[in-house]
Amino acid sequence: MSGRRWYRTAGRYATLTVLALMFVFPLYMMVVNSLLPPEQLLKKANFWVSPGDALWGGYSTAWNDGHIGEYLGNSVVVTTLIVAGQVVTAVLAAYAFAFLDFPLKRTLFVVFLTTMMIPFEVVFFVNLDTITDFGDLPLVGDYVGFDTYGGLALPFLATGFGAFLVRQAFLSLPRDLRDAAALDGYGHFRFLTRVAIPLARPSIAALGLFAFFGAWNQYLWPLVASTEDHRTVQVGLGFVSEGSVDQVNVAFAALVLASIPLFVLLIVFQKQLVRGLTAGAVKG
Amino acid sequence: MRPMRWLPLVLAVALVAGGCGGGDDDDDTSTDDTSTDDTSTDDTSTDGTAASGDDDAAEVDPSLCPVDALTDADKPVEIEYWHAMTRANEEELIRLTDEFNASQSDVRVTLSASPSYPENLTRYTAGLSTDELPDLYQGEETNLQLLIDSQSIVPAAACIAAADYDTSGIIEGVLTRYTVEGIQYAMPFNVSNPILYYNKTAFTAAGLDPEAPPTTLEEVRETSQAIVDSGVATHGISFKTDAWFTEQWMAKAGEEYVNNGNGRDARATAVAFDNETGLALYTWLSDMEKDGLLVSTGTGDLEHYVAIPNNESAMTIDSSAALGTIFQLFDQGQYANVDLGAAPMPGPASADGGVLVGGASNYVVNRSSDAEQAAAWKFAEFLADEQTQSEWAAATGYIPIREASTTISPLVERWVEQPELKVAYDQLLAGADNLATAGPVLGPAGARGEGMRGAVIDAIAAMFAEGLPPEDALAQATEGSNEAIEDYNDRVG
Amino acid sequence: MSRRVREALLGYALVLPALLVFGTFIFYPFVRTAWLGLFEQPLFGGDSTWVGLDQYLDEWRSDDFRNSLFVTVKFAVFTVPVGISLGVLLAVVGHQRLRGIGVYRTIFSSTVATSIAVASVLFFTLFNQQLGVLTKLLNREGETPVLDDPRLAFIAVCGVTIWQNLGLSFIVISAGLQAVPDELLEAARVDGAGAFRRFFRVTMPLLSPTLLFAVVVGSILAFQAFAQVDLLTEGGPGDRTNVLTYAIKTTALGNPPDQGAAAAYAMALFAITLLLTVVQLRFLERRVTYER
Repeated sequence: MSGRRWYRTAGRYATLTVLALMFVFPLYMMVVNSLLPPEQLLKKANFWVSPGDALWGGYSTAWNDGHIGEYLGNSVVVTTLIVAGQVVTAVLAAYAFAFLDFPLKRTLFVVFLTTMMIPFEVVFFVNLDTITDFGDLPLVGDYVGFDTYGGLALPFLATGFGAFLVRQAFLSLPRDLRDAAALDGYGHFRFLTRVAIPLARPSIAALGLFAFFGAWNQYLWPLVASTEDHRTVQVGLGFVSEGSVDQVNVAFAALVLASIPLFVLLIVFQKQLVRGLTAGAVKG
Repeated sequence: MRPMRWLPLVLAVALVAGGCGGGDDDDDTSTDDTSTDDTSTDDTSTDGTAASGDDDAAEVDPSLCPVDALTDADKPVEIEYWHAMTRANEEELIRLTDEFNASQSDVRVTLSASPSYPENLTRYTAGLSTDELPDLYQGEETNLQLLIDSQSIVPAAACIAAADYDTSGIIEGVLTRYTVEGIQYAMPFNVSNPILYYNKTAFTAAGLDPEAPPTTLEEVRETSQAIVDSGVATHGISFKTDAWFTEQWMAKAGEEYVNNGNGRDARATAVAFDNETGLALYTWLSDMEKDGLLVSTGTGDLEHYVAIPNNESAMTIDSSAALGTIFQLFDQGQYANVDLGAAPMPGPASADGGVLVGGASNYVVNRSSDAEQAAAWKFAEFLADEQTQSEWAAATGYIPIREASTTISPLVERWVEQPELKVAYDQLLAGADNLATAGPVLGPAGARGEGMRGAVIDAIAAMFAEGLPPEDALAQATEGSNEAIEDYNDRVG
Repeated sequence: MSRRVREALLGYALVLPALLVFGTFIFYPFVRTAWLGLFEQPLFGGDSTWVGLDQYLDEWRSDDFRNSLFVTVKFAVFTVPVGISLGVLLAVVGHQRLRGIGVYRTIFSSTVATSIAVASVLFFTLFNQQLGVLTKLLNREGETPVLDDPRLAFIAVCGVTIWQNLGLSFIVISAGLQAVPDELLEAARVDGAGAFRRFFRVTMPLLSPTLLFAVVVGSILAFQAFAQVDLLTEGGPGDRTNVLTYAIKTTALGNPPDQGAAAAYAMALFAITLLLTVVQLRFLERRVTYER
């Protein structure tokens, strides 16, 4: 390696490292601060905690007394409901739009797209009234009302974007496949489950990923539509940190705990994640 | 957060803090009784000004409060109590509630905590449309007019009449605070007022007498200067951006904060703090900050305290309600540089003035069943009783609402052991007794980001951070408050 | 039943679940919100008064609304371009062939694993006046806390937002960059084009569809930002960070609540989103056409 190249390579690594610091520093401080005894935090500039001094108590306090464990559980339940709901409703509707003929099909498809123009922030307070009214329904009231898992998930069980994405995937399937399947005597159900879904898997997976991120990171709806019984982790974090100046290690520990699931996913599934996240932006 | 938020989250020792501790408690009342002097007051003798509970109770229909419904109900009657106590205060409330639940089998109380008073109120007003309401609600005293207007509460006077409950042992000013146009709406529970917290170690190091903390604003300035000059701390006083303190200072100066007799003769239509006294207060704050004597710690609930061990200040002002928590926090030996003292709130001294009664009180919610209302009242009675108040004050720093509570155990011993806890009580009883010290009553009292207090907080913040001149800040606070009042009054129709 | 009819029925049945959700939680509340705006709500329930468009017009003319609109637009104008520029920088730098680049790419993607709530709570504490590292590093000791300072709070909220979005911007723009053929760049290099020239003449034009997409989606998201304001500043100080979404929430669920006034804010947010979505859909359609 010539001297000049050596310089250049070093320069590149330096640039990369400086940029990486932008990400790493806050996250690093999050971990360090979660381990520092509260009174040490006062000095404002503790960039290091020696393993011997590390105080792990913040984690158990955050998990138990801060209810982070319960909040994570709530998030898992609500997210699962939403992801499952969005995938199912999208696949069904997409199948209809892609493979079936019926009056008003175009109009209905436009209706689906229209939903993307109405942000949830515009309608949430009426939805809050709706969910509250649902609480009075016979039989199901306890599962779909205010401060229930159902109430947290219901408004998000379908999206126009999802139907759109899957429809595009279905439409890109070769027409011959359809005909061949028909020749084999496949009904709609078998064609959907044996042919269309498997072939559209990348798009469906991308939809699942979007749904997952959207649901997991939701904030406004769980903030207003639940109390501590069904509070999700995103909302719960605010409660843990509020006014915890003398227990900052606990607030940071809560952040670490709340972030671990997604970090594990990021590291394990980075490739798939990248592919999925970019599905909407850059195809192919 | 914001808007952020309901139920409890209590991190064991304490986490969530603040709300109460820190401060949003507020204001009010004052002392009515007190004709003579502090300790001696026996309420019965004097009758406060504005309104005294007993006479007026007659005006309200006792049938509004079904206190007898408990007799025929299926026991135990389960009720929910929404409170905003945190930390040491919450721990004590839990203990008292357990004690109450264990002491009888008619009523079973479940606690549900909000992180702060404003959040407790947001939760409550949201509940008015969702019907998710408690049976008993702890409301900051500024909630009074709003709760009356919501028509969702049983006036305490009705319960007092129906249960033939004797309020004569309760400090008159505390009752007055919750009495509007002759009707007492809430049952007092936790009363506090702001006090001066100061670091005796820093005082000594700066050559000041640690037993003679400042009593006026001028003295606060001189003391701060001495501390800064000595280099013991970077600033003299740390100040939380909160509207409560200016309310207290105006009351200490004997001035009404809103018009129409502090909203007690008729609904308030404008604020009254845009006068010379108000300007002097804003100017003092602005100058202190500009001259580096005061450090603004923003709207956080604990930062102004934490500035003391951090050597950024040697004094701060906040609610006596935080005493229990703060002493717990600073008394564990990890802050060798702090020996905390407590003293009356420094400020304008007027013969017509006095600190306002801060804290909160309990409201029976009329949307609950009769049995639940009766049960809620029973618990409210328990929280106000002589023994409970003695234990409550001993553990928290709140002021006992009954004089008799100060003469029994554990409070007697506790005050001897920790005299700081008595400061707020003495301060309350030392004030005058008039409309100014009864405290403002208005619908949009607000909190950070809303209503009158929001306007005041924003104005003070702009003064500190952007150097807005005090007269402009005062004008801004006035204008913002008046707009909020006008909007509210329009809608209340 | 004829085949056609059966197919049509099946079609409706498959579309129905999603339609029910849309009807209940999007279209109905949308119409209802617009309707609520035509009434003045008394405090705490009771009968509303029909005021027609007066309430809308009053709100839209109010200083509070104009402030919120201004703050919201400013927020989008600050966060989107800066975020995307940083994303491009990261993507270009992360596109090099170097040993261990994978580690850097993972790091550059890492904020995807946070959320805006996590980022907000994290920075809220790092900005804390008494114990936040950033207070020290920014030399703000003894000064009004950053998030309480009317001059700085907005910038801080923008900064946290940009930081949290960086991972996603990086991933999206990197993917766009993959599509730029190396041969083209190589050819440009052979022609003697320097790094900057290559970037602006070759990479940027090919990247522009991706960037356009990122701008549109980023803007829509910026107009809907809520959590960071709620957690960092609660709209303050002095309403300097009181974006439309936050104003809707505090008005609709305030003390006391005012759904009528909130409707006026909500409809304004809708109008903006509508505009941006139309652009987005056009764009999506075009991409899809390419693809087919």
